[in-house]
Amino acid sequence: MLGSIEKPVEDKSNRLGMTRVGGQMIADYWEDLFTARERGKQIVWYNGGALNPMFQAAGLAWCHGEAFAARLAAQRLEGPAQLAGAEYGYNAELCSYSRTHLGCSVLTLQGTEGDQTGVVGVHDQEVLAAKLPAPDFFVNNYAGCSTGQQWDGISYRVFGKQLPIFNISHPFLWGNKPDSGYLRGAEWEQASQFVASQLRELIGFLEHQTGRPFDYDALSESMTYIKRAAELRREGLDLCKAKPAPATFWDWIASVAPINFLPGSQALVDYFADVRDEIQGRIDHGVSAVKDEKYRLYFDGIMNWNKLGYLSRKFAEHGVAVLAGRYIQNAFWQEPHLIDTSDPILGMAQHYLLCPTNHGVKTLEHLALRDCEDYDLDGLVFHSTRTCRAFTGPQRLLAKAAQDKLGLPSIFFEGDVADASFYKDGILESRLVAMLEAIDVRRERGALPDGFSAFA
Amino acid sequence: MTDTPSEAMERLVGVARDPRAYIGRWRAGHPGGAVLAILPMNFPRELAHAAGALPVIVQDDQEPITEGRALLAEFYCGYTRNLADQVATGRFDVYDAVFSADHCIQLIGATEIARTLRPDTTVFLGMLNSSMNDSWAPAKVTETMAEIQAEIERFTGNPVGREELGRSIEAYNRDRRLIRQLLDTRSAGEAALSPVQLQDIIVSSMVMDPVEHHALLLEALAGLHGTERDDRVRVHLSGHLCHAPRRELLEVIEDSGAIVVDDDLYHGKRYLSTDVAEEGDPIAALAGWYARRNVTIPCPTRVQQDADWDTYLLDAVRHSGAEAVIHLVPKFCEPHMLYYPELRKALDAADIPQLQLETEHEGMPLESFRTRIEALVERTLRRRPVHV
Repeated sequence: MLGSIEKPVEDKSNRLGMTRVGGQMIADYWEDLFTARERGKQIVWYNGGALNPMFQAAGLAWCHGEAFAARLAAQRLEGPAQLAGAEYGYNAELCSYSRTHLGCSVLTLQGTEGDQTGVVGVHDQEVLAAKLPAPDFFVNNYAGCSTGQQWDGISYRVFGKQLPIFNISHPFLWGNKPDSGYLRGAEWEQASQFVASQLRELIGFLEHQTGRPFDYDALSESMTYIKRAAELRREGLDLCKAKPAPATFWDWIASVAPINFLPGSQALVDYFADVRDEIQGRIDHGVSAVKDEKYRLYFDGIMNWNKLGYLSRKFAEHGVAVLAGRYIQNAFWQEPHLIDTSDPILGMAQHYLLCPTNHGVKTLEHLALRDCEDYDLDGLVFHSTRTCRAFTGPQRLLAKAAQDKLGLPSIFFEGDVADASFYKDGILESRLVAMLEAIDVRRERGALPDGFSAFA
Repeated sequence: MTDTPSEAMERLVGVARDPRAYIGRWRAGHPGGAVLAILPMNFPRELAHAAGALPVIVQDDQEPITEGRALLAEFYCGYTRNLADQVATGRFDVYDAVFSADHCIQLIGATEIARTLRPDTTVFLGMLNSSMNDSWAPAKVTETMAEIQAEIERFTGNPVGREELGRSIEAYNRDRRLIRQLLDTRSAGEAALSPVQLQDIIVSSMVMDPVEHHALLLEALAGLHGTERDDRVRVHLSGHLCHAPRRELLEVIEDSGAIVVDDDLYHGKRYLSTDVAEEGDPIAALAGWYARRNVTIPCPTRVQQDADWDTYLLDAVRHSGAEAVIHLVPKFCEPHMLYYPELRKALDAADIPQLQLETEHEGMPLESFRTRIEALVERTLRRRPVHV
């Protein structure tokens, strides 16, 4: 029974208060989008990297497909959209972001029959808890995951091939050359320039769609705010290396939406300044994010949005502070120094390429092991994200690298980004407990002297 | 096939069923020559052939997956898990390097297994732009073709001269044309070769040197007599974008009262669909080949607004006179799962019977499939006009 696993005996998690403020900002954003058409705004549906500064500068309203699917899942309202997708013919093993969003497309089309407002049909609104306006055009900005481009290509078809679509191609940062590496090498430089050139083409496309010249000053202004917000976010993340941890991975998950698609503005900067300050305040006053923190873990996998609150409580129940993960440290404007606010196009292109599914394993290993060491972690938890092949592909290799090179144990548990049916609570519970016991045993044995390998 | 299989045909079948044995023989005849593992679907094998290498498209080798399970998640497609298993168990050791040009994220996952488990092996990804309508796509694809050429030259140590590349292009075109003729004959009504035999011919062409394959196939076809199509229900097989359907499944389809008259399978018409232009700059010709392949038979892994797999399928059905379509969807194949509703809609609108079969690498429920195929056959037969 779902209800029986929802309430731990004692909630030992101590979430940041600021995340509630972020939640309200996000809710306001979606409400604003739902009424955008009434205010005469053109609406773009997009997927992948955070193109919102471009859309903001172009005077558009924007809907990020994954974000909308994630929001529905977080609110446990994904069911009607997924059912509509299933009835349309989408297999349950298909990326649950895509089939939720495509289900929304189907519902949106059904809602617009005989009604040109572009609003999901009234009869669906209550169950969907959404009023997603139909798009005027699509932009795809998907790096790494090959499904992303196809998903938007299908959206284009579901809407009858009537709406313009713009695709940005991202070379996978595979690492062919000897000089290849994170933020370096000819491959990185060439890919950066290639994507930047496409972003310049996108500006021409947006000018054509809106009938207005693109406002470069507005883009610079937006990116100035976003860069500052990203710097504050990084400062806050670095503060979480403290022991006990003042905030956890789950707090940062709650702040994904603001950094990923809210408008670049002073409000965004203020939000991340307040998040950082709250974390600093906790350090100053000895307040921890997990009562009686005993373990520190890494989390790999896209978030299981159905289970955000539940997982934060579950890990805390075991004294676990989850502190780092590919989805947080290695995504979402995580390298703000790359942004030149006076001419942000190249830095934006680079951030899109830095999507954590767009690297070869060598780079992912470098990043994961770096974070494990920086945050002094005891082990790794891999969310074997059922319908996300992009994130799960390298997980077994990352687990092996953590074991071989740092002596860190790992567990895998099943779940999904936006489909609760794949989550297996018993598997997570039993494997987590087993790993924590193994960590205890290892601690009792004591550490090996420097220079000795933990594993032959 | 109505005739007794010739020795040449048996040799082709042998290569298809045991590519590693052929690779061994090729190595013996080409001391120092490199054997490249080529991953589907769009790699320009001509470049490797012109450098004196043997570019072998790696097959789903039909062995049960054992160690591969610990390397890729169970929800990766059977082909990619099989590739991982081949690497983990040493069955991949017959290859000197791995070359790929496609961006299927599952295929990249399998390729990472090869690179990690064999750190001293060259594993190259020359990713071809999959967004086809962009104004910059032709230049980017041409640039990637040149990068692939440079990497092959670096790996083999052999420069790819324009003349050598031209000869390789001609050789592959010649072999493609010959196999295409067999498929066209099938669509025209002469079922001289069974689906399994055609698959063996195509698989062997994916493995062998094209000159050698062409000669052997000519020998196999000499004296082969076609037979007129019988009264079984004519079906089009659609799907399996990058590996072969199981032979036993093809046999069940034809045992159930259907006859395959056309397909858009990778191990079928899709692989052979398009020749490379033999005039002009050969690198540009390979780039054009890549683009035209997606127009000849649209692929859901490409994003091209004016190329529709559903439209192609309807045209193909009308051309071949197929009475029904069987969709062969490899479990977890996302491009196919995404596009499938569009195919279904189009066929429903055209009132063409269809059946979707979700295939797996192992543990495929053949008898359940048989029942469903028989139901499709009966349903289709009822639609035939009654002559009194």
